[in-house]
Amino acid sequence: MGLFVAGMNHRTASVGVREQLALEEDKLREILREVLASGGMSEAVIVSTCNRVELYGVAEVPGEARATVFRHLCHHRGLDPASVDPCLYTHLDREAVGHAFRVAASLDSMMIGEPQILGQVKDAFALAQSCETVGPTLHTLFTQAFAVAKKVRTETDVGRYAVSVSFAAVELAKKIFDGLASRTVLLVGAGKMGELAARHLVEQGAFPIYVANRTWSRAQEMARALSGTAVPFDELTTVLASADIVITSTGAREPVIQRDMVAGVLHGRRGRPLFFIDIAVPRNVEESVETLEDVYCYDIDDLKQVVDANLRERRREAQRAEGLVEREVGKFLARLADADVIPTIVSLRERLESIRLGEVKKTMARLGDASPETKDAIDALSSAIVNKILHAPITKLRESSRAGHGRSWTELVHELFGLGRQS
Amino acid sequence: MISPTFFTLAVIGYVCATGLALAYLVQRQDLIYRLGSLATLAAWACHSLALAIRGIEQGRPPFASLTEAVSVAVWVVVLLEMWAERHYNVRVLGAFVLPVAVMLSMSAVGRSLEGPAIDRALSGAWLWVHIGLALIGIAAFVLNFAGAVMYLLQERALKAKRPGTFYYRLPSLETLDRLTYRTLALGFPFLTTGLLLGALWARRVWGSVFAFDPLAMFSFVAWIIYAATLAGRAAGGWHGRRAAYFAIIGFAALVLTLGAGFLLPGRHGS
Repeated sequence: MGLFVAGMNHRTASVGVREQLALEEDKLREILREVLASGGMSEAVIVSTCNRVELYGVAEVPGEARATVFRHLCHHRGLDPASVDPCLYTHLDREAVGHAFRVAASLDSMMIGEPQILGQVKDAFALAQSCETVGPTLHTLFTQAFAVAKKVRTETDVGRYAVSVSFAAVELAKKIFDGLASRTVLLVGAGKMGELAARHLVEQGAFPIYVANRTWSRAQEMARALSGTAVPFDELTTVLASADIVITSTGAREPVIQRDMVAGVLHGRRGRPLFFIDIAVPRNVEESVETLEDVYCYDIDDLKQVVDANLRERRREAQRAEGLVEREVGKFLARLADADVIPTIVSLRERLESIRLGEVKKTMARLGDASPETKDAIDALSSAIVNKILHAPITKLRESSRAGHGRSWTELVHELFGLGRQS
Repeated sequence: MISPTFFTLAVIGYVCATGLALAYLVQRQDLIYRLGSLATLAAWACHSLALAIRGIEQGRPPFASLTEAVSVAVWVVVLLEMWAERHYNVRVLGAFVLPVAVMLSMSAVGRSLEGPAIDRALSGAWLWVHIGLALIGIAAFVLNFAGAVMYLLQERALKAKRPGTFYYRLPSLETLDRLTYRTLALGFPFLTTGLLLGALWARRVWGSVFAFDPLAMFSFVAWIIYAATLAGRAAGGWHGRRAAYFAIIGFAALVLTLGAGFLLPGRHGS
């Protein structure tokens, strides 16, 4: 029986192919049951997201199982299996374990480190469990994959830095201000992007929110949506004096925020930083504003640059995560291999121990009036002999199973020591 | 004498901790951070032991010579660093403070611990208080300096709009500015009282406040710089970059003070 994963992802298949194979829950249940009933496989989990369709399974002949399952899938969708075949990859044993870990840890995602995939894999696993297509092997594999994903998340920064412009703005604000709770936000203009950035700030506790717009009714509308206050456009300077974060997204051709305006309010702020997030094109904040002290001004290109740097940082962290996953795969396989030989080791120990106890009892009965010291010595002697004898076979069993041929050795040990049939 | 062994161990420990702290700055790995914290704590424990033994052996506080005093200052610096790192949750603080601590320790290496110790005739409780207070003040200013350097690095990264190592590792500008302010507010009263006691002492013993002592001169210069910064911060709304520059100038004056103490003849010995 071999563990394998077969499927396609965003790298091997175009979205056209992927969307045709994406399956809803009912269909998945049906197919999972069919797959197991049609034979060849003893366990199966299907992960189906918009970026991947993957079958995790245990089968005698993985190649056949893969062909059967994907023929089923194509059949359901009225596709020609030959058109899907070139997009498919198959990983066996060690590679399959590594792949499962990497997928769950979001290292195989289109956007490395995105957090949704772990939940999607968990859902797929739960669905397979409810269809009773999960056996001991996949159970251990997936439980471990979830643990590895968590470890990657806590020990590396792979999912840490913002990869969208609006979140990058929030992150920058956190590098300027000591927390965003009770920071005053001024939103100038009613652009969608501006609203989104303002929303993120509100989620972080920013309060109060002021909205200024040339059209008064628009300002009121947006203020209602953000639970903020609308302010008349010509009172911008007044609000600027108390604002901490200013988001601009108007369609104005000329800068709305001029240097003189900002310089004028700086003195009264006593050094409180002022952060401009200028999402508008053409820009709403005059370029020379950023030369003022305690003023930080990021336009859309600057924010994109931050996002790019964040992506580089994520990729660097992903490299570290790959090493971590590789080590976890090694540990996992060793544990799996040990699990193969442990029953044999246990029965071998029990067998020798029962022989030892029987012989010690007989000897004790014959000795009769021997001193407790003598009895203890006999007991210790027999234990020592048994342990010495066991040492070599147990070591050999563990080594051979880690090297991948534990089965023949366990059979041999069963024969030699008369341990009875193994399950 | 056992104390030199522990002093050596402590310096080795600080060097290791510095290496780990710098490594953590480059490679954000939890293990490196934990090892670094452990090394710092172990080195500091050795240092404490060394100072305690030294004090018992000599039957007086272990800061009678300038070399000893520097050692005690390092001890306070590391203690403050460990506290501030947790309090402000600035995990990279060690990378900025420990190198200074190591450099200070090194300045004392190669000099006999004995040095020209204080003339027995001069010693008295107030003299020890003078030295002790000044040392605590100096230690706080080491942290003040580190906070200022971190502020300037983060400020530059934010203004340049090029996120690099420092942008990712350092905390917010406000946190750093607060750290710099607090350490200034902590160090200043200690330095002031320390200097004042020294001046009173000098007048009583030598009849003059400064009387040809380079260390006292330079420390007075440093005191003026810090006094100006504190006044500027408290009343003039100074903050951020300007305050950070002054913290660095003030610290430079303190380093000169120490250099003067070691290299020029004067009453603080050399």
